[in-house]
Amino acid sequence: MTRHERRDLRNGLLFASPYIAGFLLFTLYPVVASLYYSFCQYNVVRPPAWIGWENYYALFFDDPQFWKSLYNTLYFTAFSVPLGLVFSIGLAMLLNQKVRGMSVYRTVFFLPTIVPIVASSVLWLWVLNPESGLINGMLRQIGIEGPGWIASEHWSKPSLILMSLWGVGGAMVIFLAGLAEVPQTLYEAADIDGASRWMKFRHVTVPMLTPTILFNLVMGLINSLQYFTQVYVMTGGKGTPVDSTMFYPLYLYRNSFYYLRMGYASAMAWLLFLVILAATLALLVSSKRWVHYHGE
Amino acid sequence: MKTFLIWMAVICCGAVVFAALWPRQAVGGAERRALAEGRTIIQYWDRHQGHEHDMRLVLIDEFNRSQDKIYIRALSVGFNSIMEKLLTAIAGSAPPDLCSLESTMLAQLASQGCLMPLEGFMASNPEFAQDNYFPHAWESVAIDGHVWGIPTTTDVYCLLWNKNAFRIAGLDPERPPRTFDELQQYAEKLTIRDGDTLEQVGFIPWQPWDMTGMWGLIFGGRLCDEKGNAVCGNEPALVKTMEWQQSFAADPNSANNPPYAMDPEAMSSFTRSLGAYMSANNPFYSGKVAMMAEGEWQVTFIPKYAPNLDWGVAPLPTPEGVEPMVMGWPCVVDCIPRGSRHPNEAWAYIKWFYSSRPGGGPSPASDYCYAIHNICPRKKDVLQERFTSNPKFKVFVDVLFDRKVVSLPSMPLIQFYTDELERQRERVVFRKTTPKAALMETQQKVNAELERQRRFVDLSP
Repeated sequence: MTRHERRDLRNGLLFASPYIAGFLLFTLYPVVASLYYSFCQYNVVRPPAWIGWENYYALFFDDPQFWKSLYNTLYFTAFSVPLGLVFSIGLAMLLNQKVRGMSVYRTVFFLPTIVPIVASSVLWLWVLNPESGLINGMLRQIGIEGPGWIASEHWSKPSLILMSLWGVGGAMVIFLAGLAEVPQTLYEAADIDGASRWMKFRHVTVPMLTPTILFNLVMGLINSLQYFTQVYVMTGGKGTPVDSTMFYPLYLYRNSFYYLRMGYASAMAWLLFLVILAATLALLVSSKRWVHYHGE
Repeated sequence: MKTFLIWMAVICCGAVVFAALWPRQAVGGAERRALAEGRTIIQYWDRHQGHEHDMRLVLIDEFNRSQDKIYIRALSVGFNSIMEKLLTAIAGSAPPDLCSLESTMLAQLASQGCLMPLEGFMASNPEFAQDNYFPHAWESVAIDGHVWGIPTTTDVYCLLWNKNAFRIAGLDPERPPRTFDELQQYAEKLTIRDGDTLEQVGFIPWQPWDMTGMWGLIFGGRLCDEKGNAVCGNEPALVKTMEWQQSFAADPNSANNPPYAMDPEAMSSFTRSLGAYMSANNPFYSGKVAMMAEGEWQVTFIPKYAPNLDWGVAPLPTPEGVEPMVMGWPCVVDCIPRGSRHPNEAWAYIKWFYSSRPGGGPSPASDYCYAIHNICPRKKDVLQERFTSNPKFKVFVDVLFDRKVVSLPSMPLIQFYTDELERQRERVVFRKTTPKAALMETQQKVNAELERQRRFVDLSP
């Protein structure tokens, strides 16, 4: 390394040092510490006491609520992520037409994304109110007695999945950018081959969008496995009725801050991390088979 | 020139941001003066919100004006997040000097060494003598031979009923139900259905508060044994409590549901549709719920939110064959977190707040209870004429002297325990489990957690 390079390195590190310090102190250290705490009986105020695998053992064998919360979260993810993708692609296709005032429509569909989650959750509580809510009010107009939505054991998760579709604006914008990237020449070639609109969508648009789909799929998966704020606000942190909205992160939060079981909650957090890691890796590995990048 | 202007703009913006964030600027004028005078600033975290916190501020102002050494800086932290914030602050060695809490949290925090015992400060001060307090209030702060907090307010539950709904149902509006049988008959008459939906409900035991543990005590049961272990699974009274609550939810597979039973899904929809508690849409105020077990604070709430409501209050009905009892719970208490930098000054404020004013006037604490219409935890305070002259409030006061007061035990896991009871009560209502199995599961879960904690901390009573 020449003197010049050394000076560049020093200056570079110096400029990056606020981030490096912050990362080490506020991200890496807590993450490593939580791994240690997951093997401890720890309540924040007393020093952690090593108990080995006991927290993990208790989670797997003594805690039916843990399994219920895992089930709820996986159920939500299994429906909300694919539905979200379908809706955001559909919206992006619609908003990719050449129509006057398109930027206004795009803004309208993106707007829900910038509404704070707490505010939108309260809003949806009103919309989904079984008696005076907007949805059941409209259903009543056409002679249908709507379900209890968030108050019903069977409808609470579908309600939340429905609600999650309200926030597809973010993914939609990314798909719009992806659509703009699709070369016109491919469509022209397809036209010459006599392809129908559906065939163009199926054999040109979708393959060219696969990198964007992969990105949105991974982000959607990570976000929905950590789904917390909405249920916390809408059920007052209780996961009612009958644990049907007791999502994994909510149960984790209750254990840590309601009952001071930080070690137990850390173990839960690491298990969730492993689930997310495994799901993401599986997606990335499988992507070699179905994701097409430009020029490949 | 252009670069110069850009730099000037950046510097000006920076100066504005700094000025806005500078801590001295964030505090009020009175506090700046107190700082200039060199007074000790005491951080006080208040569990109360809204008008209840405002009243606290009025009294704290009075204290601050009377002082030249201490200044109290009060912050409304609110009930929901106080535990989380306090824990973080204690773990980070930056706790407030003073804190108000729910007594259930007190038991949990005291057992983990988060609070300072107060008996050293209280020594020989007659204002803080145990005999002054209602036993349940004292027991909520005196745990393991130490006093961990001073009770500020306590609550007592009675039956509130809507007289107009009684008239419409053909019931005598001046005669509330006195036994559980009567309560159920009244509930049936006061429930109005439209097909599967509920237009008006007579009574739901868990509305507005789930009090399964409390009802268990009213039924004559106990939640813990002498060693502090959960015993609900083996208590017939607790099983009866669950069965009684379950009887309000119709069993879809049975033809013999009691006439007051309602469809559980319809009940869930009904309760989730109800308006906000502290608003004119409170279901009791708006006539959606005709009877409920509620606390004395309603004496201020109802005139504020529903001035035209015609309502009555009476002691809770009693289950057959059980001594009449009353629910007293919980207490809000003032405590000093461990790690407080100014415990002596914090105590000086507590002493002022709970002592009679010079000349024998009522204590600021009793003024506070009066302003928010809560029960004073000290017997002599609540017998002041201003409390008993209100005939409705007097019902709440009288019942505390007339009946045996039952309250939740001050065990470290009481929050965990009552939350689990509440969760199991819901499962029982939806017939996911039987009352007996639900209580056994609760007992095992609570005792397993107690066992885990006891291995590391001495939690023996």
